[in-house]
Amino acid sequence: MPKSLFIDPAVVRAPGKLSFDDIPMNTYQKTVKDELGNFTRQQFLDIYRDMFLLREFETMINLIKTTGEYNGVAYNHPGPAHLSMGQEASAVGQAFHLTVDDYTFGSHRSHGEILAKGLSSIEKLGDDALMDIMKNFLNGETLRVVETGEHDSVKELAIEFLLYGAMAEIFARKTGFNRGLGGSMHTFFTPFGIYPNNAIVGGSAGIAAGAALFKRVNRKGGIVVANIGDGSLGCGPVLEALNFASMGQFDKLWEEGFKGGLPVLFNIFNNQYGMGGQTNGETMGYDVLARLGVGFAVNQMHAERVDGYNPLAVIEAVGRKKDLLLKGQGPVLLDVVTYRYAGHSPSDASSYRTQEEMAAWKAVDPLVTYRAQLVEAGVATEAECDAIVEHVKGLIFKSFKRAIDDSVSPRMDLHAEPDAIANMMFSNGHVEKFSDAQPDVLMPMNENPRVQAIAKKERYYMKDGKPVSKNRVYQLRDGIFEAIIDRFYKDPTLVAYGEENRDWGGAFAVYRGLTEALPYHRLFNAPISEAAIVGTAVGYAMAGGRALVELMYCDFLGRAGDEVFNQMSKWQAMSADIIKMPVVLRVSVGSKYGAQHSQDWTALTAHIPGLKVVFPATPYDAKGLMASALAGTDPVVFFESQRIYDIGEMFHEGGVPEGYYEIEIGKPDIKKPGKDITILTFGAVLYRALDAAKMLEEKYGMSAEVIDARSLVPFDYSLVLESVKKTGRLVVVTDACERGSYANEVASNVTQMAFDDLDAPPVVVGARNWITPAHELEEAFFPQPSWILDAIDAKIVPLKGWERTTNQTLVHKLDCEAKGV
Amino acid sequence: MATAIIMPRQGQSVESCIITAWKKNVGDSVNVGDVLFSYETDKAAFDEEAKVAGTLLARFFEEGDDVPCLTNVCVVGNAGESYAEFAPSAGENAEAAAPAPSEAESAAPAAEAIEATGAVGDGMKISPRAKAMAASSGADLSKAVPTGPDGRVIARDVQRLLDEGLRVSPAAQGAYAGGATGTGMGGMVTLNDLSAKAPEAAPAAAAAPESDTYTEPMPNIRKVIARAMLGSLTSMAQLTHNASFDCTEIQKLRKLFKEKGAERGMEKITLNDIILYAVSRTLANPDFRALNANLLSGDQMKYYRHVNLGVAVDTDRGLMVPTIFKADTLSLKEISQTAKKLASECKAGTINPDLLRDGSFTVTNLGSLGIESFTPVINPPQTGILGVNTIVNRVREVNGQLALYPAMTLSLTYDHRALDGAPASRFLHALCQNLENITLLLAE
Repeated sequence: MPKSLFIDPAVVRAPGKLSFDDIPMNTYQKTVKDELGNFTRQQFLDIYRDMFLLREFETMINLIKTTGEYNGVAYNHPGPAHLSMGQEASAVGQAFHLTVDDYTFGSHRSHGEILAKGLSSIEKLGDDALMDIMKNFLNGETLRVVETGEHDSVKELAIEFLLYGAMAEIFARKTGFNRGLGGSMHTFFTPFGIYPNNAIVGGSAGIAAGAALFKRVNRKGGIVVANIGDGSLGCGPVLEALNFASMGQFDKLWEEGFKGGLPVLFNIFNNQYGMGGQTNGETMGYDVLARLGVGFAVNQMHAERVDGYNPLAVIEAVGRKKDLLLKGQGPVLLDVVTYRYAGHSPSDASSYRTQEEMAAWKAVDPLVTYRAQLVEAGVATEAECDAIVEHVKGLIFKSFKRAIDDSVSPRMDLHAEPDAIANMMFSNGHVEKFSDAQPDVLMPMNENPRVQAIAKKERYYMKDGKPVSKNRVYQLRDGIFEAIIDRFYKDPTLVAYGEENRDWGGAFAVYRGLTEALPYHRLFNAPISEAAIVGTAVGYAMAGGRALVELMYCDFLGRAGDEVFNQMSKWQAMSADIIKMPVVLRVSVGSKYGAQHSQDWTALTAHIPGLKVVFPATPYDAKGLMASALAGTDPVVFFESQRIYDIGEMFHEGGVPEGYYEIEIGKPDIKKPGKDITILTFGAVLYRALDAAKMLEEKYGMSAEVIDARSLVPFDYSLVLESVKKTGRLVVVTDACERGSYANEVASNVTQMAFDDLDAPPVVVGARNWITPAHELEEAFFPQPSWILDAIDAKIVPLKGWERTTNQTLVHKLDCEAKGV
Repeated sequence: MATAIIMPRQGQSVESCIITAWKKNVGDSVNVGDVLFSYETDKAAFDEEAKVAGTLLARFFEEGDDVPCLTNVCVVGNAGESYAEFAPSAGENAEAAAPAPSEAESAAPAAEAIEATGAVGDGMKISPRAKAMAASSGADLSKAVPTGPDGRVIARDVQRLLDEGLRVSPAAQGAYAGGATGTGMGGMVTLNDLSAKAPEAAPAAAAAPESDTYTEPMPNIRKVIARAMLGSLTSMAQLTHNASFDCTEIQKLRKLFKEKGAERGMEKITLNDIILYAVSRTLANPDFRALNANLLSGDQMKYYRHVNLGVAVDTDRGLMVPTIFKADTLSLKEISQTAKKLASECKAGTINPDLLRDGSFTVTNLGSLGIESFTPVINPPQTGILGVNTIVNRVREVNGQLALYPAMTLSLTYDHRALDGAPASRFLHALCQNLENITLLLAE
């Protein structure tokens, strides 16, 4: 809500008419003959070679999927094969103008794009650079397989390297581009500027926008291309990404040098079908896809329809659009009309389209028409074209034989190395900064009003035996702030955004003071687009930066479900740790605001492999854990509770240190020592557990050890087991709904790990399996101190004279379970 | 009239705000819209604009003061007007007082003794920790007073046993079913204590007048028997063969002992003693070694070189089975004397526990109670048990005429895992033959 943008009712309410510029459609109608002189003969021939190479590569995959052999050599490939046969001209045309500094992101149907971009990069890179890339990639393991035998040139060797690396990846070989962990739908090779393809439809849209944000913020050259399909335009996250990349603030608010829509080309390979749904007239209403650009930006996203069956038309269009993007006039939407011959996948019989339609497209197959143009224009003879075909076939067959040969292309041996994948789930790095540039800040840190205000606060909750008032005490939100502003002044790549992150200071005032410290390009308000917020952060990190993004309420996690569960969490391991994911996702857990603003969904994120999950409950822990998260290289979901943003530090002696420190993620902490019973808490419920501990102590002489989990993933059980060994009793408390909660996970594990030490089953006290009611009724929903005593009395050790406040009987529990509540 | 300016409440959860800066001094003129002072919460900063014009008459707080919401902060009015009545009272002042620490109340958890569980076994509810503690310390769980939920014995209950010295020696643990009073070191229950008479069962709870049933705890020996019998029937392949023999010979012999055996000390030899003797000699035949054996859990058979004959004895407390060791080497008189001695010791509760084990075969007699046939239950790990029934008169054809004769049925239960039906039948047949020709057997 920038005050500089005055919303004038006289303007907003004025009558008038909105008009649009025309959207060009297939304006380029030239052939090879028309372009003679504008391309070299070799370029014309390479276009044909590249298109045929893409076709033959996928023909090979199609044959082994459908007939079990290629050129008489049998092979079984059980994995996916989403083929793009028919779309070669679109892919090759696009790659023509792209360099290794231009990043492409793809889809599940991107074999063609990675090969085309790879061939284009090989063509543009010098021999030394190519050798360096190949020698350094996976310690030269991939290169060693292909460097045997004769090669006419380094480029020829590099082409074999590209074909083999991609094929070995598709066949899940350890020598593949990502050690076989990505596979067909996730093959990529970052040294050539080929970034991950994505098996989630449209998944690359937000990620590509994030990579473009990285280029803009960090002044990197090149553009970013999101290669997605027409089917993805029905996906909310894709529309969010189009909007994110078009935000008005880029033009109106961002500083000089950072202005303009993001340098991202949303390149839609419009092959007319999203699986079996026809997008032209069945599942979409746009009629012409390029129409969509009008809705997102004043510049209409420079939307245009391009004939994807003419490689020269695509080359011409991408060249123009790249220039616009480099000038800061993005984003761009291209409607590249094309057609796929194969079904969505091998199991698709194409029952939704006619033979006539397929025949009509095959009649204008670029491999036929372009070749005819070459011959007609006198660029090549039929014999020369045949020679290219034979050469490519030889290359593909050679690579195929190498890629299926277990002796040179082994798979990961998970029997010999059972932890090989486990060891890739997290990179566990510690990186102070991802660039040596000077961090862009607006003032020295010590002049920042928030920093000065915090300096006057009491860093411990008591002073002279009295509690310090809320306005004077150093609060949990101050701890988070200190760790964040510290990293902003150290790592120039760090950006933060989310809803209300700038002038408002965040809905919960954590960022108050950051607006004064940081320019727009490092701290800005995102649209209410959770998918784009997280998706762009993933792309930002993939491209080499560090991102701190925020979901205002945990309840909005579902809006970013794919981005958190499939993207942020998976790419490190799917890339064999080639990609790092330094993204910290702040998630605020609410209360008071009812059923859709009060949920603790920590268990959802803890369930997903590949995410670190923390939930601090004290200012000291919040600062130290945020510092750790922001210095690491792994994705961290950082939960915060709105109940305790204003709480003071009650545990760390001497209060929260002023200097920088880190707390290792995964280590629980004893907040109150005891000997008779262990209470383990997650998040803000710590304070209610301490109240319960006090009641136990005073009324029953029972000394409770209260442990604050602080982290969920990873989690070092040793402290808890040690405590249980001592006490024999464990209560796990959480504000999450009890069913399926992480507290249940821990209780189950402790039962197995410490069975003989247990004097009773570990008991979980969680919230009801209901909707969260209104604030006035919350005491019946969230765990209360008395509930903890109830559970102890009923299930662990009877407390004489305790009058239970909740129904703890087995009959009641069975009844609830039977009812599903 | 002068107007008091209050500290606004910026949100439901805000209790107070800090005045960060005064923008007007006392005596300054104030126009509507002028900023009087700036203030902030822990979340945000605000300016308080004047809504009335006049002169600032008074300021009740200084910069940096934490002012409770809705408290008067200053007064605007005409110069000279009174403002004292707007001054916040002392009670409304800033800085919340620390809550008085509440004192610890009584800290005596001591659970009251309910009732000792009295038994050790599968039926006892006990926590893993308590179980592990008892196993390593030898606590006498039969004396544990469960204080956990639902009658569960928990660690503190075991600790109490240890504190009170209620432990069981390692040697006695295997045979111990609970309930004994310890006489060993420090009150430890030892093997010797196991033979002592168990304490009387708790008196039956007074039945409610309107109730037709009443419930009382089982005596420990019943629990032991219950477990042994259930274990026997659920863990073996038991079946029973019945055969009868002509008792004429043994009845004659019994009569002889009764009438003329006094001077030789044989007058008390009973029919049962004679059967025991016949069993001991028949079992000694190596052909029937599978019945003079134990079937061990590891699929192994343990064969006995002698016959250790178990004799079922009915006592007040229940069934006991003392052993006549090496019965095959004893004379009929010796067997008779041993059997009587063991039975009386069992009844008196003075039997040495060592004499309650290591049997190789058991004989149980219900004949005196008129039973004609039954299915004895094997005493594990033995492989057979012989049930002795009452004598009934039967008829048979002798030279074309019906003639009465006294007949006794023997019921042999055997473990089909250890032997098959044919050898079991052959044993029963041989035994009957020996009994019908007891004089010949005695002469051997």
